[in-house]
Amino acid sequence: MKEIIKIAASLTAVCVAASLILGFVYAKTDHMKREIEEKGHQETIQSLLGYGPEKKAPSDLKIYHVERYVVTKPDGSVVLAYLLPLKDHRYTFAEIDLNGKPGEIYEIKADAAVLNEKATRDAAILSALPKGTKITYAQTLYVADLGDKRLGYVVPGSTQGFKTFIKLMVSLDPQFTVTGVAITYSEEDPGLGDEIKKDFFKNQFTGKTLELLKKLTVIKDPLPAEYAAALDPEKAKKKNLTPQQVKEIKDQHLNDNIYALTGATISSKALTVGVVDTVKKFVYRLDILNGAIKEKSLSVAF
Amino acid sequence: MNRNIQLLWNGLIPENPIFRLALSMCPAVAVTTSVENGLMLGLAVIFVQVFSSCTVAIFRSYIHPRIRIPAYVIVIALWVTVIDMILPVISPDVYKKVELFVKLIVVFAIIISRLELFASREPLVPSFFDGLGMGLGFLFGLVVTGAIREFFGTGRIFGFEILDSGPLLIMILPAGGFFVIGFIMAAFNWIEYKITGKIPTSGGAH
Repeated sequence: MKEIIKIAASLTAVCVAASLILGFVYAKTDHMKREIEEKGHQETIQSLLGYGPEKKAPSDLKIYHVERYVVTKPDGSVVLAYLLPLKDHRYTFAEIDLNGKPGEIYEIKADAAVLNEKATRDAAILSALPKGTKITYAQTLYVADLGDKRLGYVVPGSTQGFKTFIKLMVSLDPQFTVTGVAITYSEEDPGLGDEIKKDFFKNQFTGKTLELLKKLTVIKDPLPAEYAAALDPEKAKKKNLTPQQVKEIKDQHLNDNIYALTGATISSKALTVGVVDTVKKFVYRLDILNGAIKEKSLSVAF
Repeated sequence: MNRNIQLLWNGLIPENPIFRLALSMCPAVAVTTSVENGLMLGLAVIFVQVFSSCTVAIFRSYIHPRIRIPAYVIVIALWVTVIDMILPVISPDVYKKVELFVKLIVVFAIIISRLELFASREPLVPSFFDGLGMGLGFLFGLVVTGAIREFFGTGRIFGFEILDSGPLLIMILPAGGFFVIGFIMAAFNWIEYKITGKIPTSGGAH
């Protein structure tokens, strides 16, 4: 009996010590880690839109967030809602029911800083809604404008990968042609499924129009060598391909399906399904959202 | 030879975790499709192995023998998690590359077996050198395997193109990993047989 108490005490002591250390490290690093992640997130969005260290974003580039929420009303019914920025720097929370019909509109009295942080944003929205309403954050869509012209959209999505979810972001031009794909989180196997992050794989999606995406599948043929070189900017440089040649090769293969990675068919399919689904859902939702904005004559900022 | 240097050398060649002890073969086969992957995993293992060995060596008299295995698992998990939390703050670029590997380490047989066989019986300094030696040996094994597989599978080494395409695609598939590690293991055994004249006995694989 004495033995068992000793064992229990010893194991408890080990666990308590470990959790104290973990708690201390977490408290010290969590804030910085999130800041770095947020910075990386912004950089991903910029690079998807074609801007980065080499090509500075112009000053009239404006990226607007539109947060999508699932709202459970006090009577138990469920509707969707979007947090929309308005022209005069105010914000509005527009409900749309599951059939796509616009519903109630609430004004949110808060500034951009409050609405950027998830916790304070949720509180600000809840304070404007009737008592007993529950909201669940779903995702943030990004609308990019260059001056008065629409530059494109950046849409996050996720898909079931080989082990866990792959989180991705797709950038689209105003006609819903894919302009870029970025993988923001994945735990695919290094050397196999992890290759989905490589340029030669994910760039296969760029240039695919909405029509092409709708019937896109994954094929197990080997990736043609010249196409592989055109997809990877570094390889293209090595092979002395001019931008003109790269474009020609890409145009030639525009109607091709996605060439699966060797030894990672599941991950290849997962990303393809993820991109197609993300774009399809977004196009459907944007259509409804635009309809609602028109019907309620909201003067949105974008 | 100084005992500490001998411990280092011991982990590197005579008791190389992959080729002689045949421990942690799953990650060794899964990850070594390129030199870079092998190097990153190797570095991550060195850190976790050294920190865990030192921790267990310091606290070995306080850990009740009946619960030593769960205690070791907690120690390893602790260090893995701490590295996973600190590294992105210190160096986000490096973290992006090793993120996947760091999370794999918790379940590595080599680390827990060194804690059980060495660090739980020896003081801090030898445990440190044993951990470092084993980590270096693991890194060495991964890099050699990765180099062979990357060269034959893709025609590249460290990402630099040497041949236009890989002559043997099977090398970067899992089967190739078994072939390469098997052949290197056989070479090690053959060398030992030549030197000592004894047929080597095998270790256990995980």
